[in-house]
Amino acid sequence: MEDKLGTDSALIQEEYQYGFVTQVDEDRIPKGLNEETIRLISAKKGEPEWMTEWRLKAFRWWQKKSEPRWALLNYPEIDYQDICYYSAPKKMTDRFKNEDGEIDPEVRKTFERLGIPIDEQHRMEGVAVDAVFDSVSVATTHREMLKDMGIIFCSISEAIRDYPDLVRKYLGTVVPQTDNYFASLNSAVFTDGSFVFVPKGVRCPVELSTYFRINSQDTGQFERTLIIAEEGAYVSYLEGCTAPMRDTNQLHAAVVELIALDDAQIKYATIQNWYAGDAEGKGGIYNFVTKRGHCRGKRSKISWTQVEAGAAITWKYPSCILQGDHSVGEFYSVAVTNDRMQADTGTKMIHIGNHTRSTIVSKGISAGHSANTYRGLVQVLPDAVGCRNYSACDSMLVGATCTANTVPYIQAENSTAIIEHEATTSKISEDQLFYLRSRGIDEESAISLVVNGFCKEVFKQLPMEFAVEATKLLELKLEGSIG
Amino acid sequence: MSMNDTALAEKASETIAGFTEEAFSALTQPGNPLLRGKREEAFAEYLRLPAPHAFDEEWRKTDPALFRFDTWSALPSAAAGSVQPTDWDSAFDVVVQVDGASVSIEDRTGILSAGRAYVASLFDAAEEHPDWVQQYLQGAALPASTDKFTALNGAFWNVGIFIHIPEGTKLEKGIFLRYRQRETGAVLIPRLVIVAESGSEATVVEHLESDDEVSMGVVSARELYVDQAARLKFLTLQEWGRGTYQIGNDMAVVQRDAQVDWITLNLGSQISKLKFGSDVAGPGSSAELDGIFCTDTDQHIDQTTLQIHSAPHTYSRLLYKGAVMDQGHSVYRGIIQAKPGAIKVDAYQTNNNLVLSNGAIADTIPGLLIDADDLKCSHGATIGNLDENQVFYLRARGIPEHEARKLLILGFYDEILDRIPYASIRDRVHELLVEKLDRVL
Repeated sequence: MEDKLGTDSALIQEEYQYGFVTQVDEDRIPKGLNEETIRLISAKKGEPEWMTEWRLKAFRWWQKKSEPRWALLNYPEIDYQDICYYSAPKKMTDRFKNEDGEIDPEVRKTFERLGIPIDEQHRMEGVAVDAVFDSVSVATTHREMLKDMGIIFCSISEAIRDYPDLVRKYLGTVVPQTDNYFASLNSAVFTDGSFVFVPKGVRCPVELSTYFRINSQDTGQFERTLIIAEEGAYVSYLEGCTAPMRDTNQLHAAVVELIALDDAQIKYATIQNWYAGDAEGKGGIYNFVTKRGHCRGKRSKISWTQVEAGAAITWKYPSCILQGDHSVGEFYSVAVTNDRMQADTGTKMIHIGNHTRSTIVSKGISAGHSANTYRGLVQVLPDAVGCRNYSACDSMLVGATCTANTVPYIQAENSTAIIEHEATTSKISEDQLFYLRSRGIDEESAISLVVNGFCKEVFKQLPMEFAVEATKLLELKLEGSIG
Repeated sequence: MSMNDTALAEKASETIAGFTEEAFSALTQPGNPLLRGKREEAFAEYLRLPAPHAFDEEWRKTDPALFRFDTWSALPSAAAGSVQPTDWDSAFDVVVQVDGASVSIEDRTGILSAGRAYVASLFDAAEEHPDWVQQYLQGAALPASTDKFTALNGAFWNVGIFIHIPEGTKLEKGIFLRYRQRETGAVLIPRLVIVAESGSEATVVEHLESDDEVSMGVVSARELYVDQAARLKFLTLQEWGRGTYQIGNDMAVVQRDAQVDWITLNLGSQISKLKFGSDVAGPGSSAELDGIFCTDTDQHIDQTTLQIHSAPHTYSRLLYKGAVMDQGHSVYRGIIQAKPGAIKVDAYQTNNNLVLSNGAIADTIPGLLIDADDLKCSHGATIGNLDENQVFYLRARGIPEHEARKLLILGFYDEILDRIPYASIRDRVHELLVEKLDRVL
């Protein structure tokens, strides 16, 4: 299709290279949301009765609530009845009846085009992938090898079917159904997502990753991820996401729950590159996400790294509840906004256990007419002795029409807490650009170098391949933002 | 949506207990038509604006229901002044006593009669200088539309003071305003307007006092206008008694090349909810905002500072330091705002907090709202306790522990106390802090 398009379109294609649509026969349910919809989704996934009830409880609570509007975001009202809550490629619908069910060749091609091989033969070295297409997980690689070590890595739907006890024990214990508006909507209608269970003392040898792809029109994607690391376990998990370019907005409301028991460590990295809408702000994904990690055990550690480069609206606060004594929470974030994108993102660090520590490093880059807000909470409860937090939130402004806000909330209720917070907002340094340009580096590359230096602290937290990816993504995003 | 609208309409029609339509009409003494008009304007806004609720972001940390306006009679009938002069008076050119609602003005160095400054109650000012009152009362700094309580103040103020420093005048000593309140059950509603004309220099000091047994409310509003190249120093020492509940809204507008230095010393009151700051509105203007706070027993002090930059090439610095003890709770909310087009702005905000006892709470919410590029805006906030190494160092030199801690805490505050231009006030603040610390340590 690219051949016939004019230069302008080709340029757009270059800006967002994942914007294509895959033509597949879909099994989709009618638009709208009511108890019947939820029963239908639950039935399609062949869920047990308790799961259906669990969803309905969330739905009943959700109906009584209204959308939160405190974030510095400006978007039209969302019509929740105008969304399709379940859509899957038709050939996939039998999947749960037959483990070896065929993957729709179109879907396979889609993932190949996205650079995500989902066949065991072509799988990436050192990375196990769970690929989610609209409402279903289509394939999960490396399963056998992981299974031998006792690690469970599968889609959440399979987990509900195959490991109901584990799911029942942990699902909703970090983000309950009644947590917030979007989380309860997700609890009611979630379709797929990943489930990871790393047993006691096991160090997961490969990076686990999930790739989320929205394809269908007017659908919402509501994935749910649950990661459990038992005593002394270690797991590193990555997620990536893209969607086609469309003029209408699509809703994505995910929930991620992480649970780390004694001495366990979970690293969770996101590279979010949903379609962000065009330069005038038309279209794009509304990304309302609740992510929370629970350091339940002593000396446990949860580390969030996120590169937020896409989505028209981002509302996302990956948080850590530091309950176990000596547990550690980390949050490293790069949020880039360009054109008409709006991001209100940050973290919450709740210190409950003694001697818990947290670090927050947030880098915001705004360009074009975008708005980029860091919003965070650091709270030390009255009984938490010897807690420590350090936060640094830097914003960089590229161009005169963008907005950068920083809204940190810090609450200390214990006299032994030590909390430090620093934030700066400034323009990209003319001196640094001049220095680079006088050495023959063109302006775009100079900006890219400075911006990458600015984000280095965060990128170095990512596995190497992803850091390279993130650097490229950033370059692409800021292309043409300085005239 | 329609439900929201109804809820909003319901909220808007709420009045604060005692401040009703009837109370407003009762106020209609055949007063000055100019003041009358301003009050009516404010009253209309007061009726229109929604009453704050605990679920509003701004009031989340201080429930407005804690202000028991129903227990205070709306308009105090204060007895005529009997405030005794103090030895502070000699440090000032003009001393204004506010006792209850009565205002008396003492021209100690003859600057008023010489025309080097104008200080009067708003009633007199409206008669003598209607053009000034028309321009500045409820002017650009604090229009009645700011919020419900600002509008309430505009409609119902019962103490009004107008200060005007003419062009190019430099006051040597300054102007002192002493508020002494002794009447239980009253609501003091002071409105202060200060205008420093271009090139003038002046210092204005406020001292707010009431006894612990006096149960009262205060809804204050202050407007500061600093014209071209003028310099205004403004200082408030707030040592209200524990029966006093204050809501305040203050704002300074600083014009080209002018400067405001504003120090707030919030030590008293049971609950304070204060919002104040500066708008550096002309190129080259600057604002320096400093303050201390200290809460003990179950005191609650909630402060919001605004550093608004609506013009390019402007500068602001802010340093707020506080300690919380016992069950005390402090809330500090700082906002740096660069409006569109405000380039070459340099703004910094620092908030340091000491949490000295378990059970005490320090909240800090420093915020940056930036709508322009080519600027530098930063903030830093810390919460912690004393450095035990420093305590140890002092103890190793034979200083008892509580003395050592006291010294360190006073040292923590010194950075700001040093900026107080009057020794008498510095000493008083020192004394108040020592009193508080001796009780707790």
